[in-house]
Amino acid sequence: MSLLFKDRPDANSLKPKLPLSGKIRAFFTNHLRHSVAALGDLWRTPIASLMTMAVLGLSLSLPAALYVLQKNAVAVSSAWQNAAEISLFLRQDLSPEVQRAFSHRIGLHPEVESVRLVSPEQGLDDFKVQSGFGDALAYLDRNPLPAVVVVLPTEENRGPREARALLDKLESAREVDMGKMDIDWLERLDAIIALIQDSFGALATLLLVSVVLIVGNTIRLAILSRKEEIEVMKLVGATDGFIQRPFLYAGLWYGIVGAMISWVAISLIIWWLTDAISYLSGLYQSSFQLMGINLAEALFLLFLSSFLGLCGAYISVKRHIALIEPA
Amino acid sequence: MIRFDHVNKLYPGGHHAIKDVSFHLKKGEMGFLTGHSGAGKSTLLKLIALLEKPTNGQIFINGHSLARVKKRQIPLVRRDIGIIFQDHRLLTDRSVLDNVALPLVIEGYSHKEIKRRVSAALDKVGLLNKINHYPMQLSGGEQQRVGIARAIVNKPPILLADEPTGNLDPELSVEILKLFEEFNRVDVAVLIATHDLGLIARMKYRTLTLRKGQMINDGLLQHDRGELL
Repeated sequence: MSLLFKDRPDANSLKPKLPLSGKIRAFFTNHLRHSVAALGDLWRTPIASLMTMAVLGLSLSLPAALYVLQKNAVAVSSAWQNAAEISLFLRQDLSPEVQRAFSHRIGLHPEVESVRLVSPEQGLDDFKVQSGFGDALAYLDRNPLPAVVVVLPTEENRGPREARALLDKLESAREVDMGKMDIDWLERLDAIIALIQDSFGALATLLLVSVVLIVGNTIRLAILSRKEEIEVMKLVGATDGFIQRPFLYAGLWYGIVGAMISWVAISLIIWWLTDAISYLSGLYQSSFQLMGINLAEALFLLFLSSFLGLCGAYISVKRHIALIEPA
Repeated sequence: MIRFDHVNKLYPGGHHAIKDVSFHLKKGEMGFLTGHSGAGKSTLLKLIALLEKPTNGQIFINGHSLARVKKRQIPLVRRDIGIIFQDHRLLTDRSVLDNVALPLVIEGYSHKEIKRRVSAALDKVGLLNKINHYPMQLSGGEQQRVGIARAIVNKPPILLADEPTGNLDPELSVEILKLFEEFNRVDVAVLIATHDLGLIARMKYRTLTLRKGQMINDGLLQHDRGELL
């Protein structure tokens, strides 16, 4: 309605009154139309638009790739948690009955999930098979190996610190000669994973900020290149909101297409690495499969990227459209 | 319709563009605003269109003080004022149809209504056959008429023109002014800034003359006083 002329008809007074459902539908068709129009604007300069989108896509690919790496590293490390197995070497002078009783007693600890007793004979057999020294071992006149109790701690007690505490506790038993656990290796793996996670957070923050800045700057250039048009629109009574809308949609589109490009890039990288990874994991007798980005993560990437694009565009239009005043 | 009450405009730097100007242009009245370049004609028009704010004094449109208009309401006020510029200010990358439709698109008219009104406005300025041309394909006079069609397409009660005949030969100028007379006849208040005194003298309309920012004449400009005082 006109501000100064109360009786002057305007666009709204001509429109038939719509019911609520019609208004909602009109709202969405309106926005759909504007978003398609904004996409059309971008399409008018396809190379420049695609360049910006590609830059965004690559900026997003890096944190996404780090995320995938982190996800896989966590999966790998949890598959290798059995590394927290504790081996207790028993004194040589114990009879098999005492060994069995001891092994049974260990199994009753609440921190212990399972125990396995490896007798000296069995140990020797295993060693013959695994080491390849089979023939040489035949020259030994007596079995040098002690009986071993292999202890698998429960889930909660497999972390480096918990497992260490359990080892100390079990080692103090009278029957035990010494206890051993490959704990250093586990600690190092945990530290590496923590490092990846931390650097993922820092790098992701930096790159996501750069996405906002890239979109903001691109939109700023778009606004400046249409300065004359914006002046004319302001002269004939366009509100800032009306002028902003196509730029905000452009930012949204930058974000959406950028997310798609980064998804394609990540998928390509994973496809590229799959053969190498399966060869490597084959060497470790593991059936490890590289995990890609699942649907929920892809959707999250899409939403995050569109949100960042919108943010960049919003910051830019708020600053620059207000500055353009017709003279 | 447009009332100035002791309006002053001082630009930063000390240039006193408008000095204590008072006048009242009534509803449906047509007037000329004249004076040398630099006399303050454009500034006065800018004050009405809220492109500038007066340093002091009050401006009223239809009884409403412009000082009370909030910043975000300025676009709504501009929708009530059709403005025509010497340099047309057309968007060269859009067709005549899109240029003229701009005020209607901004106000959110329906597609059908836009088409109807744009056709009516272009018909009035005699350019309906050029609706799908681009501004660059038109002559200077035609471009000016497209600018006029854009200014009147949403039927504003006030029409301002800043040197609308500045670049046109006398014949075309008369044609343009006849258009303004036509709008004036349907009760639109028209204020035309021009330094084309010969034109004014022929038309016998109220003339406001500015010199160095001051209003030195308000009324009919006499034929024999054709040169500025």
